[in-house]
Amino acid sequence: MVWFRLGLKNLLRRPVRTTLTVAGVAVAIAVLYSLLEFQKGYEKGLREDLNALGAHIMVVPKGCPYEASTIVLHGGKWPRYLKADYMEKVRAVPGIDESAGILMDAIIAKNAREKNQIFLGVDEHFRRLRQNWRFREGGWFPDADSLIIGANVAKELGLKVGDRYHIQEPRGNFNVDATFTVAGILEPTATQDDGFYFLPLATVQKAFNLKDRIVVILVKVKDVANVTPVVEALKKSEANMNVFPLTELLDTMGQLVKNTKVFVLAIVLVAVAIGTVGVLNTILMAVFERTREIGMMKAFGAAAGDVFKLIWAETILMCTAGGVAGVGLALVASRGTEAFIKGVLAKTALISVPKGTLIGFSWPVFGTAMVLALFLGLVAGAYPAWRASTVSPIEAIRAE
Amino acid sequence: MSDHEQTSVLDARDVWRTYRRGSEEIHALAGMDLTVRAGEMVGIVGRSGSGKTTFLNQVGCLDRPTRGSLKVLGTEVTSLEERALVAFRRDRIGFIFQLFYLIPTLTVRENIELPLIFARRKDRERVAELIAKVGLDENGDALPRQLNGGDMQRVAIARALVNQPKLLLADEPTGRLEHRSRDAIMEILRGLQREGLAIVIATHDLSLARQTDRVIELKDGRIVQNERESVVFRAA
Repeated sequence: MVWFRLGLKNLLRRPVRTTLTVAGVAVAIAVLYSLLEFQKGYEKGLREDLNALGAHIMVVPKGCPYEASTIVLHGGKWPRYLKADYMEKVRAVPGIDESAGILMDAIIAKNAREKNQIFLGVDEHFRRLRQNWRFREGGWFPDADSLIIGANVAKELGLKVGDRYHIQEPRGNFNVDATFTVAGILEPTATQDDGFYFLPLATVQKAFNLKDRIVVILVKVKDVANVTPVVEALKKSEANMNVFPLTELLDTMGQLVKNTKVFVLAIVLVAVAIGTVGVLNTILMAVFERTREIGMMKAFGAAAGDVFKLIWAETILMCTAGGVAGVGLALVASRGTEAFIKGVLAKTALISVPKGTLIGFSWPVFGTAMVLALFLGLVAGAYPAWRASTVSPIEAIRAE
Repeated sequence: MSDHEQTSVLDARDVWRTYRRGSEEIHALAGMDLTVRAGEMVGIVGRSGSGKTTFLNQVGCLDRPTRGSLKVLGTEVTSLEERALVAFRRDRIGFIFQLFYLIPTLTVRENIELPLIFARRKDRERVAELIAKVGLDENGDALPRQLNGGDMQRVAIARALVNQPKLLLADEPTGRLEHRSRDAIMEILRGLQREGLAIVIATHDLSLARQTDRVIELKDGRIVQNERESVVFRAA
């Protein structure tokens, strides 16, 4: 501890220089922390989103399955459909506990003040899949013109059970024009459901002129160990269906993000390298400035190892401070960073962006960032510490 | 061990220190012989480049003689390994310099403690005792920049004494001090001498050298006078 105490006093000798060097390390560590935390939060968020579906297998129309699954997870318009009678083929496959066909459509916002209105046509089968659903007010559809809304929709529009809700949008020869009565308001689910409008399946088919169409079939198997044979059987039952297990989706999307992580890591490495050189430069400069003082310390009995430890302690202190400041910076800037990354990811339809906070505090990521900061300190401090340890007291006296 | 060796703190015999500059050999010390006994204060005078500091460096184990024998406190230091030399220097020899070399970020107390830290020892009582001894009771927590030159040299003396050395080497200890501080420092050194500490002072200041027991005059790395009343004083 004594080396750290002495080292701290030396660092405070040049507060501006020390602060700037610590800031350099902090930026590198902040980038690293944000990246690792986002990666962790993304996987967790995606897993939660997929779990909230209450299904093991997703069946979508032919086309890119990841684009389809992103639409399914976060809502939207996708001009590809399955025939509603595929449901019968799906339900005929053995090993299925529950399956629900969903039709999805949306009225896209025309300006920044408005929000997209995403409608999901669902039935009783869907309700059985959504085990996490609780009604804050009202309940399931009593009739064909009933509407169930997510907690955020209710809050934003100030809707209550019994209120009327009207939609209108011209679509070529067809005019979407319908009025519904709010029958139920969901408790918050911390999933995309909070922002959706749920209608009876047949009502959406009629309102959006999509008779006998559905967008996705969610399938829950009886035994999770049998997902693969069920997927194979579903593929055989209808050639126009794209069938994949949600674990595969999780892996693939996770892999896509991991691939981008390689490039971001390269940037982090450059930042860390710059931070390391900055620390090395600062400490080396301090060693040169204090050559006489170090020589004199050796004259008073400091062994080479003592001087090495002292200089190393200064570097480690600086990098540790940089690590803590970096994590603090990452947390302070987390909302902005998150919004930026989510914005970038949202531009690609291939990568689903989970809802909720993705960059937060976690001890393992904090530990990783601090270990790297410490490693940076050990590496950056080694050469200046060695230089200092070889200072000759005689040289210091001659300089006098 | 002879009686002579038992009482001598320093015993230098035919000590040479030679440097090479290209093909030229420079003899900074050219056969120095000197014995200093416990409780003796010896002044070394001579012009710049005469070998005063070089001799102190050899005695203080900061440098090794090219040849010759150098016994400090009965130990032949020329044959000590580097690690042993560091420990010997730390535990048996004290240094004070013209420029004090206090660590500016450490308080008076911490500066004095520094050699104890290097020796992996803790002795707060010793530090407090030394602070009192050099007359800095009120300044234990002061930083060096808050002290005048005389007080800084007092701190340097306390630091040199903290590991209880038997030999104190002083290189121009009053070179940067005004008269009153110089006298105060010399008074402290005389007190230490009375306690049995051997002190070797290298100085240009003849009036300071006059206050020592014996004056050695160096020229070209050799002793040209070694007597109680050196010719340099008569010349001065």
